[in-house]
Amino acid sequence: MSVAREFTKGLWDEIPPFRLVLGLCPTLAVTTAAQNGMGMGLATTFVLLGSNVLISLLRNVIPKKVRIAAYIVVIASFVVIVELSMQAYFYPLYKVLGIFIPLIVVNCIILGRAEAFASKNKLLPSIADGLGIGLGFTLSLTFLGAVRELIGAGTLFGRYVMWESFEPLSIMVKAPGAFVCLGLILCLMNWIGAMQKRRQG
Amino acid sequence: MRDLIKMVVVLTVICACSALVLSFANQATREQREYQVLKYVKEPSIKAVLTGYDNDPIKDRVTLKMGTDKKGKPIRKNIFPAKKGGKVIALAYGSAATGYHGLIEVMVGIDINGKITGVSIMTHTETPGLGARVVEPAFTGQFKGLVLSDALKVKKDGGKIDSVSGATFSSRGVVTAVRQALESFSKIKKEVIS
Repeated sequence: MSVAREFTKGLWDEIPPFRLVLGLCPTLAVTTAAQNGMGMGLATTFVLLGSNVLISLLRNVIPKKVRIAAYIVVIASFVVIVELSMQAYFYPLYKVLGIFIPLIVVNCIILGRAEAFASKNKLLPSIADGLGIGLGFTLSLTFLGAVRELIGAGTLFGRYVMWESFEPLSIMVKAPGAFVCLGLILCLMNWIGAMQKRRQG
Repeated sequence: MRDLIKMVVVLTVICACSALVLSFANQATREQREYQVLKYVKEPSIKAVLTGYDNDPIKDRVTLKMGTDKKGKPIRKNIFPAKKGGKVIALAYGSAATGYHGLIEVMVGIDINGKITGVSIMTHTETPGLGARVVEPAFTGQFKGLVLSDALKVKKDGGKIDSVSGATFSSRGVVTAVRQALESFSKIKKEVIS
């Protein structure tokens, strides 16, 4: 597969939360607003890109038997860097995301890409893979956050956009709203997929 | 055997590199992180107790060593000076005393003449609806303009401060914290201005 293909697969065919249904913990927990989803997505993208690059470079050095331990050390280091810089420069976002930033370490998307892709591929495809999957994850979280914020609070990125007599459906910004919303999006994605398949015969 | 040694060496090197990078990142962001925590945790109370300044009291903060704790380590205290045209016009700093239930931490603003400019409760664990009402401006507003020679006690103890009804202990805690802050003012002022 070409480098461009490695990048674009993360945006639709293998878009993490909706197609692979991976990384659901942050997907459900932090998407109460578009901005939070975007922050979480970007933090994850940084970690994913960093770990993919390092693991791809080290793929011939790391012995097979201790590879998981080595991957986790690499991933955890990037997560701590993200956490420290977020605390230093984006404190309000750091407060909102809270425990879910350190939990990026156990996000199975990242270890999954390291194990399934970066450890078997050269640097350039690994960068494309990390960026694509990360961007797909960011877009998904931002979209989910935007939908929940719009229906649940009537705002988008913190700005009020709905008409005046709009009654916010506050369940959407609470935990059950995350499940409902994710379910509907999954349904829509599958429906679009089925339509495409039928058209192709 | 060779495999074993390679595994140990590779893992050790990766962990060592990671530790090196992380300690560097920790150093590089420390100052900025401390500033952010103070800004978001303390700034609202500082703004509530100081007025008419044109500097950033958090950026200009002075850290003083005030006595020692039980283990003999020096206690560090952040003093936030309010400046106007480069001259210190007031100081704000935290103080704490026991209320009805646990510590009550207050931020006290005191102008250069030793007069209280404002009092704001930062953290407390008082009873909701009763002792917790000490955070209301109706109570904290009473301290404004008082000096050390004023009777800084609740009315029940022969002082000037109306306690929140049904919450004498909580009110006493706040008054004690404010009085302690005023008592240490002359010492702190000398250190900060010199």
